[in-house]
Amino acid sequence: MVEPLRALLALCCLALLTAPAAAAPLDRARFAADLCGDGAAQVRGAEGLVQAGGDLPADDLTFAGRLLGALAERRLSCPADGALLLDRPGAPEGHDALTGAVRPAPEARAPVLGLRQRAVIETARGAVALLTGPDPAARAAGLAVVERRIATVPAALLDRARDAETDAGLKATIAGLAQATALSSPDPARRRAAIAAVAASPSGTAQARLAALKGDPAYAADPAFRAALDAGLAKVSRAVAIGDGLAVVYNGLSFASILFMAAAGLAIIFGLMGVINLAQGEFIMLGAYATYGVQEAFRRFAPGLLDLYLFAAIPVAFGAVALVGITVEALILRHLYRRPLMSLLATWAVSLFLVNLVRVTVGTQNLQFVMPAYVSGGVPLYADFVMTWNRLFAIGFAVATLVLTLLILRRTPLGLDIRAVTQNRDMAACLGLPTRRIDRLAFGLGSGLAGLAGVALCPIYSVNPGMGAGFIVDSFMVVVLGGVGSLLGTLVAALGVGGANVLIEPISGAVAAKVIVLVGIILFLQRRPEGLFAVRRRR
Amino acid sequence: MSGAAQTALAAPAGPAGRAVRDPLVAGLVGLCLAAAAALLVAPPAPYLVNALGQLAAFAILAVSLDLVWGYLGILSLGHGLFFAIGGYVCAMHLLAQGVAATGVLPDFVQFMGWTRLPAYWAGLDHAPYAFVLALAVAGLVAFVFGLASFRSRVNGVYFSIISQALVYVAMLLMYRNDTGLGGNNGMTGFPLLFGWPMGSPGVVTGLAVAALLTLAAVLMGTRLLVGSAIGRRMLACRDDETRLRTLGFSTTRLKLGIWCLSAMIAALAGILYVPQVGIINPRVLAPDLSIEIAVWVAIGGLGRLGGAVIGAILVNGLKFWLSAAMPEAWPFILSGLVLLVVLVLPNGLLDLVGLRPRPTWLRGAR
Amino acid sequence: MTALVVEALTVAFGRFTALDAVSLAVDPGEVRAVIGPNGAGKTTLLDVISGVTKPVSGRVMLGDHVDLTQRSEAEIAKAGVRRKFQKPSVFPALTVHENLEIGCGPALPSRDRPARIAAILGEIGLGPRAAVPAGRLAHGEKQWLEIGMVLAAEPALLLLDEPVAGLSDAETAQTAALIRRLRRPDRAILVIEHDMGFVEAIADRVTVLHEGRTLYEGSMAGARADARVIEVFLGR
Repeated sequence: MVEPLRALLALCCLALLTAPAAAAPLDRARFAADLCGDGAAQVRGAEGLVQAGGDLPADDLTFAGRLLGALAERRLSCPADGALLLDRPGAPEGHDALTGAVRPAPEARAPVLGLRQRAVIETARGAVALLTGPDPAARAAGLAVVERRIATVPAALLDRARDAETDAGLKATIAGLAQATALSSPDPARRRAAIAAVAASPSGTAQARLAALKGDPAYAADPAFRAALDAGLAKVSRAVAIGDGLAVVYNGLSFASILFMAAAGLAIIFGLMGVINLAQGEFIMLGAYATYGVQEAFRRFAPGLLDLYLFAAIPVAFGAVALVGITVEALILRHLYRRPLMSLLATWAVSLFLVNLVRVTVGTQNLQFVMPAYVSGGVPLYADFVMTWNRLFAIGFAVATLVLTLLILRRTPLGLDIRAVTQNRDMAACLGLPTRRIDRLAFGLGSGLAGLAGVALCPIYSVNPGMGAGFIVDSFMVVVLGGVGSLLGTLVAALGVGGANVLIEPISGAVAAKVIVLVGIILFLQRRPEGLFAVRRRR
Repeated sequence: MSGAAQTALAAPAGPAGRAVRDPLVAGLVGLCLAAAAALLVAPPAPYLVNALGQLAAFAILAVSLDLVWGYLGILSLGHGLFFAIGGYVCAMHLLAQGVAATGVLPDFVQFMGWTRLPAYWAGLDHAPYAFVLALAVAGLVAFVFGLASFRSRVNGVYFSIISQALVYVAMLLMYRNDTGLGGNNGMTGFPLLFGWPMGSPGVVTGLAVAALLTLAAVLMGTRLLVGSAIGRRMLACRDDETRLRTLGFSTTRLKLGIWCLSAMIAALAGILYVPQVGIINPRVLAPDLSIEIAVWVAIGGLGRLGGAVIGAILVNGLKFWLSAAMPEAWPFILSGLVLLVVLVLPNGLLDLVGLRPRPTWLRGAR
Repeated sequence: MTALVVEALTVAFGRFTALDAVSLAVDPGEVRAVIGPNGAGKTTLLDVISGVTKPVSGRVMLGDHVDLTQRSEAEIAKAGVRRKFQKPSVFPALTVHENLEIGCGPALPSRDRPARIAAILGEIGLGPRAAVPAGRLAHGEKQWLEIGMVLAAEPALLLLDEPVAGLSDAETAQTAALIRRLRRPDRAILVIEHDMGFVEAIADRVTVLHEGRTLYEGSMAGARADARVIEVFLGR
């Protein structure tokens, strides 16, 4: 008893799966005959094709497309023994439309299209191109043709085109067209279905489109329409709000990632040595320029691997900037450890030097970066929320940096030394730790992190010699807010500042948001100078 | 130690006596007066007169920073804010006076589509009111920021970077056009000064003389201050604030008072500067400019008022000359000078001539 | 009446409890020594009394009415409390004379200052060095100058944090004599010290702190006989 039931069920499933392909194949001979017939027959054939287009198998469509193309270009010959496709108008022989066999073409009739027939035939060709075009450009051209006589195109055809489309932009265009067609359909049931369909994929555009329907006469006249529209609109509005919320969170997260990247190195240096490194922004800039150097090297020596330059730049930027940092420490800061305010001025001089060095040697213009696929475009996730790859790159980069830095600080001998010296320099020195060497390595680590921030910024910011100046105030506020010597504090502060900025921005604009956040931090620090996460220490 | 010196210390000479005993300050004051007299008697080319006047304004600004940094250990990286307050109020006065005289509104007011000056410009065409307002606003901003900071014991590098954030915030605000203060382009095109056409040789000379005389007065006044009992408390506070508090002194009040005074002196410099250059815009609020003030002081000699003046005049004089002669090289020279001073000459260029400041221990200011 | 009462004072730095419900009372005219091993909380106790550190709970009463835990350092100093720090804490940029002038405090009228300063200079024996910047003094001279600075305001409560640390035997004996001379019926003196001989020479009573708690209070002779004190401190 069970066995036959299961077999039946399996059969049903199979039938469902293959249904679209199996449904009503094109009667090819009849179609060919129609195209060879009089004007009315041509119109009947082409319109029939369009009406059935949503269900026809792909090879039938290709077949129809060939015929329609030949007809439009006067390469269709209609002898009595069946339609022939010629290679060019008036050729002596051609392929049989149905079998493909080569036959001589007698002086037979080559149908000429009338004005009315031409429009119908073009629409049918467009529909075929839309469904079977080999590339997005061909399909987009087909869509443009179809759009001119959209009223004659059934919903199923557009739906099929939309579902099959692989290009995101074109897919959205097709969907929009399908919706617009359905929404203005004279059939009330279809309109309601369209409203539900629009509501099913919510976006700001969908919201505007539905809201516009409130002015439609049917809204006042048809209670069912009214109910459907109100329900649909409510659903869309809710979803758009959620999507916008997600976008705010995402933007906040990416801004926070950049802040964290810029501030992490500072936090280590400041926590360890009490040195305010005003050149940190320039170290970020050097990291970005190192990335540019790697890109140019790839372009020259390994153009095939160019897309991978961002990853190759990671160790290069880290190493190069760490080296610069260690040099600065060895030449300058080493002499200034008991004089934090003087080391601040010294690092300012270094930043002035680096900016102008790059300005003179490389130039002041913005650098041009190749954007590999993994940092351009994005994927729409929910309502209007698009997850852009470049920002995701920055977020991922920041997470990786955080994990790596924590690993270095918590799990390596150098990390243990750094933590020991940060917490009690004199004691660490008494225990025989080479504090000066640790300072130098830690300064290298902190500078290297700035170099990494430079890599992460390349796909997002414009890279020029002055780019570092924009980071210094923000990132110091993050370090101080988080509490000196606490990397997790820096993280929390970066998230807080990033989040606050994107939350306030829509209300008051970008500049005012920045002002409000900075003033908030200044006020907070007046109340709690040790920041969020500093332990109360004995003085 | 001679007996006479001891007697002098046991019964300290009057404050005026102390000021005179500082040969550097006395010499600089004398130079200012002589230069002012020379300008009045035989004025050189107007651009030189103007440059001299600007240098004097910068020197006043440097003295105001040295007062809090060298003597109180508070490094402000936001002194450009107070300079800008003086400058902006002065520019408002000059424009308001122009409107009163000619009836033509400044460009940026027309640009915003306003038909008259915003309400808070009222009365600014009166010079005494504008002068008092500039000093009062600078003092008030300094008071609020200082009170909050000093009460919660924000000091050292923390104070420095928070003051830098303050000037940065002010810059962001002033770049907005709806502040009614010129926005991005700032304010320029001042037609008159006290009824005389701006830019006439008499006005240029007058402004330079005023700046030089103000510099002389500020130098003498601050020298009297740092030589007094208050000055000794400032040094004590700089080197060990906790100790001074446990001896019964309210260091918050001391720091706040000097901080506000310094802000008002910086505003004074701004007032003298703007009519000489004929423009003010938000770029004076760039954090870099505020750091540069500290650089002048460090180069000239931290903790010695004459050093601040020498540093300001030397750096800015070089800048005037080199920005025209070889603009590419100037930033490199400046950064090299800073590193030289910081690493080799901890007391600034005064080390070169052996004029060390009396307190060789500047530990609280480093 | 007592000069200083410390009631159930608790101080914590993060998770570390530096003082755990410590209580003690000092009479006017008494010299009290607080002893204990490193980390016992001695300096923290002085930090709270002088207002540098705020406690988690507990009170510090000066006289009968003034709760010092509610006051700023400057207010505490004005109430008549002076502290000599462990490291000689003088102002290096100022001369000996100027240091003492600041030591007089803000309350003393300036016409009374020269006499007061002259008297102190005599007492601490630095008269010939009056015009020397304090940064150039020898270590012992700095200690004396600092004692002079805290004396200049004629304090009612004097806090001395290891006044003989790093001094030679002769200097220690001089300092002990100086402290004995400082004793007055209206002045309480609280000394923190490691040097047992020095404590025995100056203190009326001792309080022994251990790991933030009071272990013993009484005479020095009693402390030497107390088994717990011997175990944690003297016995080592």
